[in-house]
Amino acid sequence: MPSTSTLARPAGPGDTAVAHPPRANRRRRANSLQSARVLWLTVPSLLWFAAFAIGPLAAMFVIATMRWKGLLYEPTYVGAENIGRVLTDPTFHAAVRNSLIQVAVAVPIMIPLAFMLGYHLNTKPRGYRLLSVLYFSPGLISISITGMIFYGVLSPNGGVNGLLRGIGAESWATPWLADPGTALAALIAIDLWRGIGWTAVLFAARLASLPADVIEAAQIDGAGRMRTMWQIAFPMTLDYVRTLTMLQFLWTLFTSAALILLLTKGGPGTSSTTLSYLVYAKAFSQRDLGYSQVVGVALLILGIGGMILIRALLRSSKENTR
Amino acid sequence: MTPPNAARRGRATGRLAGTLSWAYALLLAAPLYYLVVSALKTNIEIFTQPFSLPADWLWENFGTAWQTADLGAALLNSALISVVAIAVTLGLSVPAAYALAYQDNRLSRLITGVFSAGFLIPPFAALIPTVILAIELGLFYTREFQMLFLPASALPLSVLLLTQFMRTVPPALVESAALDGAGHWRLLVSVYIPIAMPGIVSVTILQLLTFWNEYLFSLTITGTAADVRTAQVALPTLLSDATDFGVLAAGTVLTLLPVYVAYTMSSRRMQEALTAGAVKG
Repeated sequence: MPSTSTLARPAGPGDTAVAHPPRANRRRRANSLQSARVLWLTVPSLLWFAAFAIGPLAAMFVIATMRWKGLLYEPTYVGAENIGRVLTDPTFHAAVRNSLIQVAVAVPIMIPLAFMLGYHLNTKPRGYRLLSVLYFSPGLISISITGMIFYGVLSPNGGVNGLLRGIGAESWATPWLADPGTALAALIAIDLWRGIGWTAVLFAARLASLPADVIEAAQIDGAGRMRTMWQIAFPMTLDYVRTLTMLQFLWTLFTSAALILLLTKGGPGTSSTTLSYLVYAKAFSQRDLGYSQVVGVALLILGIGGMILIRALLRSSKENTR
Repeated sequence: MTPPNAARRGRATGRLAGTLSWAYALLLAAPLYYLVVSALKTNIEIFTQPFSLPADWLWENFGTAWQTADLGAALLNSALISVVAIAVTLGLSVPAAYALAYQDNRLSRLITGVFSAGFLIPPFAALIPTVILAIELGLFYTREFQMLFLPASALPLSVLLLTQFMRTVPPALVESAALDGAGHWRLLVSVYIPIAMPGIVSVTILQLLTFWNEYLFSLTITGTAADVRTAQVALPTLLSDATDFGVLAAGTVLTLLPVYVAYTMSSRRMQEALTAGAVKG
């Protein structure tokens, strides 16, 4: 990428000040444009970002040290007390476990399947336009609409149970979201339903920019479809795979609260309480802001830790395949 | 392995991939089909014949949903918040991206880093401090706070994406414009913005969609009062102990409609925008 600093370079030989006096003035002006003052233009957005994003992030750490029973009360400073309360709470343990299950199941299923589907989509099979529109549509559908759709689909008298009755598998029918054995699995299934196709379209877009001759050369050399996909295309797009893995990891970890609030409220019991939902529930229904923000900090740490792990994992696999 | 062998195997795996991809497409389409047919049925018919076409087409479900959830007002609120928020987002991020694309030094890389770090902020953990901020500003339970807050949440991606697009401006063009005496303002308006237009359109579509679909922040900050709530917040109010699934489905279809209309009008642009967003994210 040609950086803008090349502008600072003196003008070419035909452009000397002696030959064209008026241009000298102009060039001085052009050079004055090169001052660092242009970065003042970033100040409004930085201030905005600081006020509404970094400020709340910093406040998280402060509130985590307070006992604060709901927004109408006065907070008192209690230092590290909240940390102890959180770490010994079985609900928190359940939330950590559920969050780990959620990311450990959803992300490793989603990324390889999405990559394969994206590869398939990129070979432009028959009807790929229709396929890509369908794959794309969960990306258009908001979380509350997704919630409403699956509230209908998974309810005791909903679409899934209706389908099971229709094929004579009545005994499998269950209130999917109200059964402690299936609530978390149902939420993960919705994540996958939303995520795979959408991620596949993103992979297809990236794969489309791979040089076609590399793939052709591999096929002429006798590499099968699987080999071409995993040993040629995959390593070439590894950076992108890593980016999408990180994004899906962060989305799954950070934003599961909304769907859970709509569908299971963390229950039955704590069977579908994730960390992100616990942050919300502790603050707004159980009125314990200090606890909530300790979980928030835990979430931040887990997010950063996961990013580092994904980075390391997807880097070493790159070296192995080479 | 000989090439013909590989080719045969390639065709076989190709067919398998084709079958699986359509199976997944069916899995995506089925709930959407279920939603649309349910919107025209009674509860009893939804329970007994979930996937058949309605016996009587109950168009009045749409009217009931529209009135019960006050969807007209809610859609207007959503539109108002989204439009103001996108104007603020562009007003803030276009000049910032110009500066970052124009000036490449340690300070500008530091600023880029600050925006990149924004991706690591868990949004729902920062929700509570954000609520407190809204209360302090006297803007809790108002649409105005959402208009101020949403641009901030959109800034990291918008600034980074727009900077990428603005970097594609050829230096020679900038040089000659500067030689003609153009200042930063002229450069931005008549060189950078026209060239970065595809990027600006992408960011606009991408963030409009995000703002329109936002749920949890709207629920907690703007609240559920009928005169300020957004469509996404109004929709779940159709859930109750005696839920009429037909009305719920009709309301869901009505809320989804604006996005699908926008999508069919600009499907190509929208796909580009959403893929660009994730590529650079």
